[in-house]
Amino acid sequence: MATLKHSRRMAANAVFTTVCWIATGVALTALVAILWSLVVKGGGGLDLDVFTKVQPAAGLKGGLLNAIIGSVFMCSVAMVMALIFGVLAGTWLAEFGRDSRFAEVVRFLNDILLSAPSVLVGLFVWIVLVHPFHGFSALAGSVALALIAVPIITRTTEDVMKLQPPALREAGLALGAPHWRTVASIIWKSSRSGILTAALLAFARISGETAPLLFTSLGNTSISLDVTKPMASLPGVIYSFALSSDDDLVRLAWAGSLLVAITVLGINIAARFATREQKRS
Amino acid sequence: MNAVTSPPDVAETYESFVTPIAADQVKMETKNLDFYYGKAKTLHGVNLQVLNKGVTAMIGPSGCGKSTLLRVLNRIYALYPGQRAEGTVMLDGQNILDKKIDVATLRSRIGMVFQKPTPFPMSIYDNVAFGVKLYENLNKADMAVRVEESLRGAALWDEVKDKLNQSGLGLSGGQQQRLCVARGIAVKPEILLLDEPASALDPRSTAMLEQTIVSLKKDYTIVIVTHNMGQATRVSDNTAFMYLGRLIEFGPTQQVFLEPRVDRTKAYVSGKFG
Repeated sequence: MATLKHSRRMAANAVFTTVCWIATGVALTALVAILWSLVVKGGGGLDLDVFTKVQPAAGLKGGLLNAIIGSVFMCSVAMVMALIFGVLAGTWLAEFGRDSRFAEVVRFLNDILLSAPSVLVGLFVWIVLVHPFHGFSALAGSVALALIAVPIITRTTEDVMKLQPPALREAGLALGAPHWRTVASIIWKSSRSGILTAALLAFARISGETAPLLFTSLGNTSISLDVTKPMASLPGVIYSFALSSDDDLVRLAWAGSLLVAITVLGINIAARFATREQKRS
Repeated sequence: MNAVTSPPDVAETYESFVTPIAADQVKMETKNLDFYYGKAKTLHGVNLQVLNKGVTAMIGPSGCGKSTLLRVLNRIYALYPGQRAEGTVMLDGQNILDKKIDVATLRSRIGMVFQKPTPFPMSIYDNVAFGVKLYENLNKADMAVRVEESLRGAALWDEVKDKLNQSGLGLSGGQQQRLCVARGIAVKPEILLLDEPASALDPRSTAMLEQTIVSLKKDYTIVIVTHNMGQATRVSDNTAFMYLGRLIEFGPTQQVFLEPRVDRTKAYVSGKFG
């Protein structure tokens, strides 16, 4: 009787473990397949031209310089905006709003924003910043990307600041420092690597966003740094070249995809390092 | 005067005995102080006198309200909505529970050291200078003097004088706690509140901290919460024994420990409960 029970348990254990292995295998296979096709199809197109020439018209050779510059520019502007609003909002939630009714509402809305489809964000920015001014602009693109990054940074900033020991905050206040001063000189400092991680993850997230940019910054075939004019972006170029009948354009789209993937991977690795540093201190 | 043998009963009345201090030697005094965590009342009509330029020890079993009482004295509890104090706390003739009191200024007059060391994430030098910069505009040389004085006062100078620019987080626990004492005295407060400052320290660090407390007594009024009765007898002039949110016995430390007037105090200091 006991041995029967035992062998049944052993069998159940074996089945369950196998199912877990298979599920993990399927997920990993998909991931490896994506990376593999990126490297195979994008690696060949990734030459010096990609970084030195602007995007070509159909039938001509060219690169992605305008899109790379555009993406870096818009993501950077978006991150500056998102960091200001996100860190301040997260700080307010963690330090001042805390358990108040209003803070609960803000937290809830932020969580909704966190999972809002990015195409909606693009549409919203189109309504408030593109349509009224009769023109697509890099600024509108940055605002759309910032709107996606803000909830990520807000949430993480709040979580990291709440993790700081209460006695640290009390120690600042007990010296006679006003609450804002305690936050700015002590709590932010000890939360630094956590906030940096949040910023990196948000940056990784927005650097691959396509939908919000299609409605806002549109695209530009030449290099532009004018925030009031349309601007090219890597995801935008990938979107428009990938289904083209011109093989050179398709190759550029794959090269751009590989570039975005490498960037995101690099940022995620950097974020892991930042987190590890935090754990050590 | 037999020791309490039956378990303490919440419903019973509380015998108490207080040996008052001469009025001109009182630095701080609570009168009919009640404290609430939300709806729970945790201090019941506490009348405590704090001796000017002396050490007042607060002892009692866990949860008796001694830390709560300490946290009323610099109003640090006000950080948390739902916690409130009723009654009066007089500091040099002024009620610090008055709504008109600016808590930041008040706290600059009353330093506090916590159970666990709380060094700020900055250099040793900046840890000490942080509080000073809030209220005084010292030039570089004067600040350096102040930092050295404070670190000497906390018996830490010799150990850190060659690494003032290193992070305060890199010090040992005992050193960190003395750094917190240095940071507290750097702003030249009138009162120092110590909340079980040695509870996270090894015996050697504890001994150094106790020496520091005794040497600080000539300049500062000190209130220390401690679980260690030996520590209370070594460092304090007066001892307050608290139990279930009430002040049970208060008087000169020798008297409280050697000739307690209340049975419950006697039982506690002789180790029969708590």
